Amino acid sequence: MQPVPNHKQTLPKRSINIKRLWEQYSVIIAFSILIVIAAFVHENFFTSGNLINILRQVAIIGIIALGQTIVILSGGFDLSVGASLALSGAAGIAVMNHTGSIFMGVATTILCAMLIGAVNGTLITKGKIAPFIVTLGMMASARSIALYFADGGSSTGKVDGFTQIANGELLGISYPVYLFFAAVLVIYTIMKKTRFGRHVYAIGSNEKAALLSAIQVNRVKMAAYTLCGLLVGISAVIESSRLNSISSSSSGISYELDAIAAVVIGGTRLSGGKGSILGTLFGVLILGVLNNMINLMNVSPYLQGLVKGCIIIIAVLLQKREN
Amino acid sequence: MSRIRLEMKGITKSFGGVQALKGVDFSVNEGEIHALLGENGAGKSTLMNILGGVIPADAGEIWMDGRPVRISSPQDSKRCGISFIHQELNLIPDMTVYENLFLGSEMVSAYGFVDAKRMIQETRRILDMLGVQLDPEAIVGKLDASLKQVIEIAKSLLNESNIIIMDEPTTSLTDREIQHIFHVMRTLRSKGVSIIFISHKLQEVIQFCDRYTVLRDGELSSTGRIADTDEEKIAQAMVGKEVLKQQVYRPRALGEVVLEANGLHGGAFHDIRFTLRKGEILGFTGLSGAGHSELMEALFGYRPKTAGEVWIKGRTAVIRHPKQALASGLGFVPKNRKESAIIKDMSILENFTLASLGKVLRFGFIERKREREKFQAYREQINIKAGNPELPITSLSGGNQQKVILAKWLEADADIIILDNPTQGVDVGAKSEIYQLILELAEKGKSFIVLSSEIPEIQKLCDRVVVMYQGRVTAILDREEATEGRIMMYATGAKSQADTA
Repeated sequence: MQPVPNHKQTLPKRSINIKRLWEQYSVIIAFSILIVIAAFVHENFFTSGNLINILRQVAIIGIIALGQTIVILSGGFDLSVGASLALSGAAGIAVMNHTGSIFMGVATTILCAMLIGAVNGTLITKGKIAPFIVTLGMMASARSIALYFADGGSSTGKVDGFTQIANGELLGISYPVYLFFAAVLVIYTIMKKTRFGRHVYAIGSNEKAALLSAIQVNRVKMAAYTLCGLLVGISAVIESSRLNSISSSSSGISYELDAIAAVVIGGTRLSGGKGSILGTLFGVLILGVLNNMINLMNVSPYLQGLVKGCIIIIAVLLQKREN
Repeated sequence: MSRIRLEMKGITKSFGGVQALKGVDFSVNEGEIHALLGENGAGKSTLMNILGGVIPADAGEIWMDGRPVRISSPQDSKRCGISFIHQELNLIPDMTVYENLFLGSEMVSAYGFVDAKRMIQETRRILDMLGVQLDPEAIVGKLDASLKQVIEIAKSLLNESNIIIMDEPTTSLTDREIQHIFHVMRTLRSKGVSIIFISHKLQEVIQFCDRYTVLRDGELSSTGRIADTDEEKIAQAMVGKEVLKQQVYRPRALGEVVLEANGLHGGAFHDIRFTLRKGEILGFTGLSGAGHSELMEALFGYRPKTAGEVWIKGRTAVIRHPKQALASGLGFVPKNRKESAIIKDMSILENFTLASLGKVLRFGFIERKREREKFQAYREQINIKAGNPELPITSLSGGNQQKVILAKWLEADADIIILDNPTQGVDVGAKSEIYQLILELAEKGKSFIVLSSEIPEIQKLCDRVVVMYQGRVTAILDREEATEGRIMMYATGAKSQADTA
């Protein structure tokens, strides 16, 4: 047996700060490196047209990823976001066509998605069922209802002006990009500055301690899933307005996985309690830039999945090393 | 005189700045049951973890059967014939007895398949040797707690261990089950196996063990043959004279009754009645499993009560959620700080304001500056040694973490604070600081319920003490009556105040 030197007290303060810096900014650093590479790889990358295009493409997944971040930070999971998008989008188009009112359609879509989130939340908190199971069941059910009502086909909007929501532009930038950044700002503020945000982090990190600190754990979780539903609803409006239709079989397919990928790349811990909205923003942007690079370089689109998969695994590997 | 099997010489170990073991000598003979005793934090588990290869010693030697050995991993320890049976058993409840026994060392037939027949035979042989009637194909999860212990013992025999360390094996067992375990232990002794028996129950030790070693504050306090000593002498060796003399308690005037429990029932406790007065420090004690921790969790709304009522400041309080408990002025510092009290991903500051965020909101947004100011006030008042409050709470020592959790409730305006083993995992210096703090706060009119498994702690702090045994209150003793012997008598169920009344 040998004496063990005591590392704990000799650890210099500076190395702690560097570690903290890396923890907070590693996604941003990764994103910057990626941008530089992209700029070298193709001369068209750094044109404003291309950059705006990237933002437009990531807006839908981006908004969903914000909701997913909240749920994951609370120690949960939501697999139902893609199916919920299809169902609530189709419901909104149906109501809009029936009433002739865009407002009614949008309101229906958002309320429907929030309702799905609230049902998830209720089953998870009151039913005490694992979030993975509840939302997996919800994913299958919501998709099935959407398929049943559309008979497997698409619903198409019959009201003029509806497509303006996703395709309209201001200063050369389409509305969904503004919506995405507005959502980032609002959700960032909620998570960072409000009591609700603080409680979400506490629950995700240590649910028992949170409850024993007099936090209304069930209520906070319900709110997290419902808020996630709201964001899915906004995405559903954009998605249905983009092509003026929702396909019951293909809209929203694998969006849940893309959203979770963005959250994970953004450095949020999958078991909750640690992570940030800014991280998710950069996670979304990294995925967008990668897809864009693949297009610009004329690589087969079938390889997009491979690149995405590698990036997710590398991101998690790097986080592991930080701990 | 039998041969010496194990000798540990001059074992030293420190964690951070705290010296857990200061050159301890420890020896065990062949074929004996050796009791290892000491208060929580005396160094028992550290010593055994070193022997089990879980943690390395800073200095010292280990000799087995007259030869020096090196133990730097659990595998080394196993190879030396040492088995460590932990308090939380390492069994897979859904598997059968023999599957658990052979887990990781399955017998394999000539064709490469698992040889169940031979394993069942072998299991039967070992169980017979222990004198236990048990079907090798029974599912472990459905067995008695004592039988699970037996399986762990059988497992160590399978590894041909000749030293078995048992860490408080009897705490969660009934009297009948305890007899069972000791029967098995005696059988083992007759076969030359040495057993190191860690326990808090002195009665058992006197009854069943051959020799004993007492540790105190990381040093050897006393060792010898059980036949040459008695319960009182051992207790003295555990507690130490200096500690007994150390005065913390200060008499003070108590106010009106602020909390009254009236016939509370729940899963682990029955018909609980007690009162708490303003400024009072009320102790609760009992063996583990006596139900006092569960009672407090129920009082705080963390687990359900099935009957009874709670009066707080003259009003009935309906408490089904910790939020309602806090609204009635209750605060709760749970045991197992890491699992139940701190949010380890959060900063000191964030942990501090967790129960009172409403106070630092402005237009619905948290004001960092106000959070910092509030913390600053407590930092001085209750002497929290923290550099930057933005650092993670885990950067603090155990004692300071505990103070932050206490400050959290003070800031949330709790004036009846339940402390469940408040000095668990806290070093000696910080311990007395926490005692001082509790007394000062009590003098200012805060009321405390202090749960403790350490009787000296109760004696230092409390005005009265409630003793529980198997979910029931067996005694409520005034400070003057609360001697160690009397408390133990009520805590072990040997006597109840109801009997004499």
